[in-house]
Amino acid sequence: MTAPASGKRQRSPGEKAIRLIVLAIAALLLFAPFLFQDIRSLEVAARLCVFIVLVASYDLLIGYTGIVSFAHTMFFGFGAYGVAIALRQWGAGWDAVIGGSLAGVVVSLAVAVVIGLLSLRVKAIFFAMITLAAASVVLVLASQLSGLTGGEDGITFRTPALFKTATKLLVDENNKVVQLFGVKLNGKLAAYYFVFLSCLVLFILMLRLVGSPLGTVLKSIRENEARAEAIGYRVVAYRTFVFCAAAVVASLAGSIYAIWLKYTGPDTTLSFAIMIDILLMVVIGGMGTLWGAAIGAVLLVTAQYYLRDLMGVAAEATANLPLIPDILDPDRWLFWLGIIFILLVYFFPAGIAGSIMRPRAPRRACE
Amino acid sequence: MTQPSLITRDLTIRFGGHVAVDHVSCAFHPGELTVIVGPNGAGKTTYFNLISGQLPATSGQVMKDGRDLTRLSPSSRARRGIGRAFQLTNLFPQLSVLENIRLVVQAHSGHGWRLFRAVDDFTDIISRAEHYLEATRLAGVAHMPAATLPHGDQRKLEVAMLMAMEPDIYMFDEPTAGMSLDHAPDVLDLIAEIKKDKTKTVLLVEHKMEVVRALADRIVVLHNGAQVADGAPDEVMNSQIVRDVYLGTAGASQ
Repeated sequence: MTAPASGKRQRSPGEKAIRLIVLAIAALLLFAPFLFQDIRSLEVAARLCVFIVLVASYDLLIGYTGIVSFAHTMFFGFGAYGVAIALRQWGAGWDAVIGGSLAGVVVSLAVAVVIGLLSLRVKAIFFAMITLAAASVVLVLASQLSGLTGGEDGITFRTPALFKTATKLLVDENNKVVQLFGVKLNGKLAAYYFVFLSCLVLFILMLRLVGSPLGTVLKSIRENEARAEAIGYRVVAYRTFVFCAAAVVASLAGSIYAIWLKYTGPDTTLSFAIMIDILLMVVIGGMGTLWGAAIGAVLLVTAQYYLRDLMGVAAEATANLPLIPDILDPDRWLFWLGIIFILLVYFFPAGIAGSIMRPRAPRRACE
Repeated sequence: MTQPSLITRDLTIRFGGHVAVDHVSCAFHPGELTVIVGPNGAGKTTYFNLISGQLPATSGQVMKDGRDLTRLSPSSRARRGIGRAFQLTNLFPQLSVLENIRLVVQAHSGHGWRLFRAVDDFTDIISRAEHYLEATRLAGVAHMPAATLPHGDQRKLEVAMLMAMEPDIYMFDEPTAGMSLDHAPDVLDLIAEIKKDKTKTVLLVEHKMEVVRALADRIVVLHNGAQVADGAPDEVMNSQIVRDVYLGTAGASQ
């Protein structure tokens, strides 16, 4: 079978399916406050928005360019702490939100440029170690400099009045908050849509980036760095650029998340547990496709929140049977999460999106 | 005679005690196709690596059009018109054939840093990439991942990528290596086509004597990293030293 050389390539059914799934996720997140009217669901939805962006930005590094970094939560933390410190010091104004986010971006950019220029020339494993060291230093600093960062307790702060739950966006004649489809139009809703829209903008920007000529250069560096250099691309410059771009996006995601939570601390933004979550989300979703990053983030975050509930229901439903309710006890949810990971990696070695989208052409070594 | 386009002056690389390329001084001219021959391990590919920048020279110089390139990175040299095809197929395996070529065209159009415009909007780049696909008769497999091509087509893609660089200096490293005899003529025709352009300088590493006879304007013989003969094909092929090199008796004099 020969494909015509001219014109755009036809999308495979797998690619269309993945795009539909991600569009469905976007639609669910867009209407989340109306579809799932409880506080916990809204927490999950906001966390999903932030993690889709965070994981997608990490995929720019590991999936598109082949850079392994363990410092992504560090940049996430810079953004979160930037906003948190600014809002605490300057009061709950928009100037603090913008100033804090910008400060986070500037620090992230500066650190990313230094790490990038110093060490993107060295072998991948050394680069990974350097990022690990940098992230460890920042984690220690965050808990030691407690005057600035609140130490292990983190920082609780107030956000602009618009995002307060008590704020009424629309009031009726009795000065009560207007409800739309049973949802109060209050500050919480405003905060959610702030999170949703900023994350949507960041995700679309990243989609444009990977679809541009620069995106192809990144893929070529992942595929064959020496040849990319040989045909005229200055590989170090491109790698440093993408490392900085991913750092900036992670930092902004951190700022958004901190504003939503009205809190930041080592365990919500900086910890290595989150770094491992990000890695798992990228691997399970499928590296090298931003769609996969979105799918991986959704799967893992919802599993973390709802697997226990689901197991509780299952244990109750099987309460009369021997042994099964014990295995399904909600306390063993991590065990089941682990089994799900193993099965996913076993059946989708290229990740969910990667396995579904890959054309069924025979693969042969090129070397 | 025209000005030389490429000069190597005492070009040398040492790996520890082993001198892989030993003070090779050569001038190459536009419109001239030079074949570099020598037994295995003579330093032919290493010499190419020094010219295109994959390896840093221990001493000596690489000059192009009077400019010293010795300290430049491979990407800078590529942008200054030194094009290189590799002996071991060296593609972007999971990208499509079209993407492989488009990347090359794009590198020389300066669009590599365009961030937010879709790739498909750069129709000039796509149509030039398609031109090279058709020239190398690869249009039928444009959307296949490069890794899935048969070996002969991978070699053709390697050549197509070099052509798409539109360099001043073309360096082919055994372009027909591992190709069956019915595929080799395609590649050789492409090289002959390039040779017709009198502004281009072509360097070719090749073992097959029929290829050397058909294409060479000049032959340089390397042996143990040193240049042992340089001249017109007839003269060099019939010289005593070449026979000694290939029969293994010249090593004693090194």
